[in-house]
Amino acid sequence: MTDNTRAMLPVDLGNGPFAVTTRGLAKRFGSVRALNGLDLQVPEGAAYVLVGPNGAGKSTLIRTLMGLVRYQAGTVDVQGCDPAGGGAEVRAGIGYVPEGHRFGYAWMTVGRCLEHQAVYHPSWDKRYARELSTRYGIDPARKCHTLSKGESRRVQLVAALAHRPPILLLDEPTDGLDHVVRDETLSILSEHLADSPTTVLISTHRVYEVEPLVDHVGVLSEGRLLGQLPRDELHGRLLRYWADVPEGWSGPGDPGGRVVRRSGAARAIEWTVWGDRDTVTRGLSEAGAAVREVAPLSVDEAAVALLSAREAS
Amino acid sequence: MKIRLSHADGRPLYVQIMDAVRSGLVRGSLRPEEPLPSVRDLSSSLRVNPRTVSQAYAELERDGVVEVLHGKGTFVAPGVRPEERERPRLAREVARRALADASRNGLALADLITALREVEDGDPHGDGSKEDGR
Repeated sequence: MTDNTRAMLPVDLGNGPFAVTTRGLAKRFGSVRALNGLDLQVPEGAAYVLVGPNGAGKSTLIRTLMGLVRYQAGTVDVQGCDPAGGGAEVRAGIGYVPEGHRFGYAWMTVGRCLEHQAVYHPSWDKRYARELSTRYGIDPARKCHTLSKGESRRVQLVAALAHRPPILLLDEPTDGLDHVVRDETLSILSEHLADSPTTVLISTHRVYEVEPLVDHVGVLSEGRLLGQLPRDELHGRLLRYWADVPEGWSGPGDPGGRVVRRSGAARAIEWTVWGDRDTVTRGLSEAGAAVREVAPLSVDEAAVALLSAREAS
Repeated sequence: MKIRLSHADGRPLYVQIMDAVRSGLVRGSLRPEEPLPSVRDLSSSLRVNPRTVSQAYAELERDGVVEVLHGKGTFVAPGVRPEERERPRLAREVARRALADASRNGLALADLITALREVEDGDPHGDGSKEDGR
């Protein structure tokens, strides 16, 4: 059984259907526990963002879902298959942008490399590949080894999207891209989701960029999830409360929710609480606090609050 | 239809889209029977999940503000009377936000109403001195 007692927020998304799940997934590199009993649940058709500090296990998790990492314990299910067994078959149904920027064979042209990709993906959409390449300003005659980091990323995105896979695994998809191309990529992803039924798992440090695009959030720390829930639930129930309080105020006995973070000055508190808005507001008010404002946290702020609460505990 | 989404805003994204459609109706930039942008186009230009736009359109349809004609797109409902419904509704939303802002700053409703009148009358300091006519 997996130990989820350390999670601050809900981590169970219920009965699915899920496109991707892991159960008690564990992976060690020597003495380092990269994944530590991870229960990932990515609902069918969801756009899921994976947030967490460096070394939290995000890339290891994505590589495991691709069948590129041999895990030691637990189970992995990607559209009904274990990628460790049916590697190539599973990978054919996934659009993958890896953490690294190496694309194709150095001596090949970009055009040749993309044609090469098409062989592995029967659903390759030539017209769409051309359209994306044009939008990204990709020159098919370029040799792969001459591509810059950002150019390489654009080609990787074309390769991941052009076969309209049922699953997209995007590891820092906008890494290395300039502002304009990053923005264009978000627009391309929005259109892609409108045109093709897709389940997307995105790992990124630029959470604010993808926040409007995603509907599920997972916060990963030390190889396990601190929270995994719909974005709207996060915005609706993890709230910051600003209140004026009397001198020496010690807080309510029962705040009506789970206090994730306490900060603020002596007579003006700023608490981050997981719970029902009205219940928490009542709890604070009955204890003598005058609640001035209640506001949701961005996914970024929520992740920081959870991660710092984790360190404090 | 001009829409700017804000993540600092307490309103969910789909509500911000709904309010933008309502404000378009009140301002007259959007009229009965006119088309709204397609879900694909609007989500692309806002960089949001297409489902967020669909949700906003579905809620607006339930409210009778728009109608979805299958295969054609989403249109402002022919019978919409912005003056009767959308205008007071939008005013309440703006009032709600102004009140919340006032309360955050420790102001009461009376302070806000007085200040609104003074600012509207061109007396921003509340001392009878008008703003110098520029």
